[in-house]
Order: sequence, then C-alpha cells, then structure tokens
Amino acid sequence: MIRMFHVQVTYPNRVAALQDINLHIRKGEFVFLVGPTGAGKSTLLKLVYRGIVPTKGQVIVDGVNVARLKPRYVPYLRRNIGIVFQDFKLLYDRTVYENISFGLKAIGATNSEIRQQVKKVLNLVGLEHKKKTTPHLLSGGEQQKLCIARAIVNEPMILLTDEPTGNLDPETSWEIMQLLLHINLRGTTIIMASHDKLMVDRARKRVIRLEQGRIVEDLPKGIY
Amino acid sequence: MIFENIGFYLREALLSFKRNPLMYLAAIISITAIFIIIGLFLLISLNFNLFLKNLESQLEIIVYLEDNISESEVNDLKKSITSLEGAKEVKFVSKEEAFQRLVKDLGDQKEIFSLLEKNPLPASLEIKVKDPKMIEPMVKQIEKFKNINIEEVEYGAGIVERWLDFTGIFRVVGISILLLLLFASVLIISNILRITVYARREEIEIMSLVGASSWFIRWPFIVEGLLQGVISALISILVLYKFYFWMVDKIHEAIPFLPLVVEKRELLPLGLLLILLGGVAGFLGSVFLVGRYINA
Ligand SMILES: Nc1ncnc2c1ncn2[C@@H]1O[C@H](COP(=O)(O)OP(=O)(O)O)[C@@H](O)[C@H]1O
Ligand SMILES: [Mg+2]
Repeated sequence: MIRMFHVQVTYPNRVAALQDINLHIRKGEFVFLVGPTGAGKSTLLKLVYRGIVPTKGQVIVDGVNVARLKPRYVPYLRRNIGIVFQDFKLLYDRTVYENISFGLKAIGATNSEIRQQVKKVLNLVGLEHKKKTTPHLLSGGEQQKLCIARAIVNEPMILLTDEPTGNLDPETSWEIMQLLLHINLRGTTIIMASHDKLMVDRARKRVIRLEQGRIVEDLPKGIY
Repeated sequence: MIFENIGFYLREALLSFKRNPLMYLAAIISITAIFIIIGLFLLISLNFNLFLKNLESQLEIIVYLEDNISESEVNDLKKSITSLEGAKEVKFVSKEEAFQRLVKDLGDQKEIFSLLEKNPLPASLEIKVKDPKMIEPMVKQIEKFKNINIEEVEYGAGIVERWLDFTGIFRVVGISILLLLLFASVLIISNILRITVYARREEIEIMSLVGASSWFIRWPFIVEGLLQGVISALISILVLYKFYFWMVDKIHEAIPFLPLVVEKRELLPLGLLLILLGGVAGFLGSVFLVGRYINA
C-alpha cells in the first residue's frame, strides 16, 4: 500500500528532516511511528498525502508514484487518504455536522450521500448527540473524535493520524485508540505518529522508530 | 462543474458574508470608493472631450472670393470643394451677408460704416471639416484652384497646429491617468480581497487536504469576489448618477448653455465599464489569491 525508497527530505531552510528512508506498509496494517520531537514523524506522514514532495527518492502510494504525480491528480490521491492533524484543523465557526459535511461537499458528494455518511460516522465515533454544537464547546477527546470522523467519512483506504492522543488523559487516549483499532479492523491501513509510550506498549502493533530523520528500528508487535 | 454546483458556490458566498459581515462591508465600501474616483475621472474626461469637440467644430477654412466672380463660378468651386475628402459642409457667404454680420458684431460702433460708399468685404465660402487634421491637406488642394478668382485662403495656420498638439497631449495625459487609476485600483482591490481570502485560509487548506480540486476550491471565492466587485460597481454607479445630475443642474444654473453630457445613452458605457472592471478585478483577484493556500 505504501512504499518508500531512499527517501530524503530537506526543508528550504536546509534542515534534513528525513534521510534514506526505506519502508513497506501493507494493506490493512496498523503502524506506529515513534521517536522524539523533531525526529521527522510529521514529515513522513506529509510525504504520503503529498503535503510535500521528497527531495530524493520515491514514494509509492497504492501503486502511484506520489513524487511524480501531476498537481491536478493530487486531489484524487487525497480522497483515498484520511488525515487527522496534530493541530486538528477544525473550522470553529461551523457546527460538528458541518465540519464533517464540508469535506464531503468539497469532493462533490450529493446531499443525500452526505446526510447518510455523516450520520453513520457520527454514530461510529459517538458524537451523534453533539452534531449541532460548535467544536470549541467540545472536550479535547471529542474534538479528536470529530477529526477522526471527518477523516474517515469518505471511507479512505489509508488513515494518517499525527499524535492523536498527545494532549489527552490516559482513559480518553485509550478510547481514541480503540476507535482507531476498530477502524483498522474494517480494513483501513493506519499510520499513527505518537510519543504515547503507554498506548504503544498496550496496543502491540508494528512500531517504526525514527531518530534524527532516520529509521533506527522497525519491529512487528513492538513496544515504545 | 461550474453550473452543477453554482447553488453551492452562491450559498457558500452568502454564508461567508453572514459569518463576517463587517469585513465584507468594509471591503465593499473601500472598493466602491475607488470606483467613484474612477467614475468621476471618466465623467470629467467625457465632458472635457465634448468641450473640445465643440471647439473643434468651430475650426474652419475660409475661401475669400474676388468681387468679379460669377455665380456659376461660385457654384463650380463649391462643388469641387464639397467633393474633396474631409469636407463636411460648404457654405456660401455673400458680400451682403458678410457686411450684415460685421454690423451686428460691431453693435454700437456701426456708425463708422455710414462713411463707406461701397461694401469692402469679400464674399466667401466657409468650409467645415470632418477632422482638424484634414485642414492643411485641404487648404493645399483648394490653393490649386487659385486661377479661378480666389482672393485668399485662410485657416488660422498656427491655431490648428497648436490645437492638434493640445488635444494630442490631452489624450495622452488622460489615458495615462486612467491607466494609472486602473492599475492602482486593481492593486487595492486585490489587497482588499486578500484580507477576505486570508480570513478563510483554513477552509481552503482543509478543502485542499480532503481532496477538493483546485477549481472547486476557487469557485466560491471567485463568485464572492465577483459579487463584491459588481455590488461595489453598482453602488458607485448609483452614487455617481445622483451626484452627476445634481452637479449638472448646479452648473447649468450658473452657466446655462455650457454643453455637458446628459444623454443617458452616452453615460451607459461608463456604467458598464465600471461593472466590467468590478467583475474582472474580483474574478482575477480571487483566482490568484486562493491559489496561494491550495496544496499547503
Ligand atoms: N515546514 C518546515 N520548514 C522547515 N523545517 C521544518 C518544517 N517542518 C518540520 N521541520 C523540521 O524538520 C524536522 C522534523 O520535523 P517533524 O517532521 O515535524 O518532526 P516530528 O513530527 O517527529 O516532531 C524538525 O527539525 C523540524 O524543525
Ligand atoms: Mg510532529
């Protein structure tokens, strides 16, 4: 599903964020991306949805060479990828419902499709009763669930989540984790960047460790 | 794609106006102010142009005829001149008419003529031209007829040249100022739109990240920019219209017969120009500004 060959990313300010990255993530896998702040976790996720292009090397997503993808095809790549951002990127002047439907409208879904899909996904994350609220009235955990709902509403093959449990208490974190595991069980490939030791150790999934832009460890059923 | 979703784009534009009415109001007022300045300039130019046209129509060639010219010779000459390229109107002024005119012009001082035994003024042909540029070549042609009892051809050589210089400079300066104003207004309008687009950069980024095509993202903003431009243009036209006709009345009270442009038909293109300008500025501004936040 996702392959990288000798990938290097150098930001314009000459920070080498990633160096010689090689990896292969299969369809349906759940992969943790761990490592200290600044290790390059967010950068690696950006490569997958073509938020950036690699300075060197190849990134293949679902058989498509992302680095060579023409800009006008990028939207089609992104419709297959759900993203949960570290900084949420919610629209605080719209309701919970509108935050989710907004993305669907943007990719041209019909009104009845939108109603059906949003309802389904709100039920899945347990926010059906808050659909008319605005995000700033939600707790951190609820906002995170809303982000997940928005990311999976069009049933993407890949879900990328960047430190989704970063600022949550352990109990809420585990709730989010179970939600993600549930989504993974339905067949969605998930990459989750995290520093949350407790969570990683408890889930017993594949762990890729980054340090200073390099992969230093890649263990199936690893721990932090 | 555009027409299928036009409802969505309009709704989005209206929603964003509802969410942030003060920002859009400020934008519309600023753009309106720019259009009023451009409109005033255009109205002044339009009237100045009319003023020049009026003066221009008074430029003419006068062919003085000798006293012994016969009526058929006059008619032949008149025909030949009328057939010249550029002649608009050829009018015969007899000795008698010339004398009457002079008497009328002199008014109180007409007693001096009682001393004269015979009318000293020559008969003449007065030639109006289509374009002041034609005057000199026409004079050259007419001078070729000189064998037939023409006394003199007069056309105010220096004045015509200076006139042409002056109107030429006027046009160049006018067009330069207009271009400058248009350029400034495009800059200012795009800066105003920049604020409204910047306020919604997160929406643009999110749309881009969920896989909306760049034109799908742009259209609501284009519709919005277009609306802002066109609404501003309409308001400025209304203000200019009221103000202009009020001003025309005031001027006519002071100088009753000053020719001013009052035909709605002649003012219409000006209004259309403003609307077009508003639409184009709004359209282009949005297309370029939104592009910045796509694929962030
Ligand atoms: N947009 C950017 N411009 C320049 N440098 C960046 C940018 N994003 C990240 N970096 C740098 O790249 C390195 C990796 O960052 P990041 O991928 O965000 O790490 P992580 O998510 O693991 O904390 C860091 O040194 C960071 O400062
Ligand atoms: Mg990060």
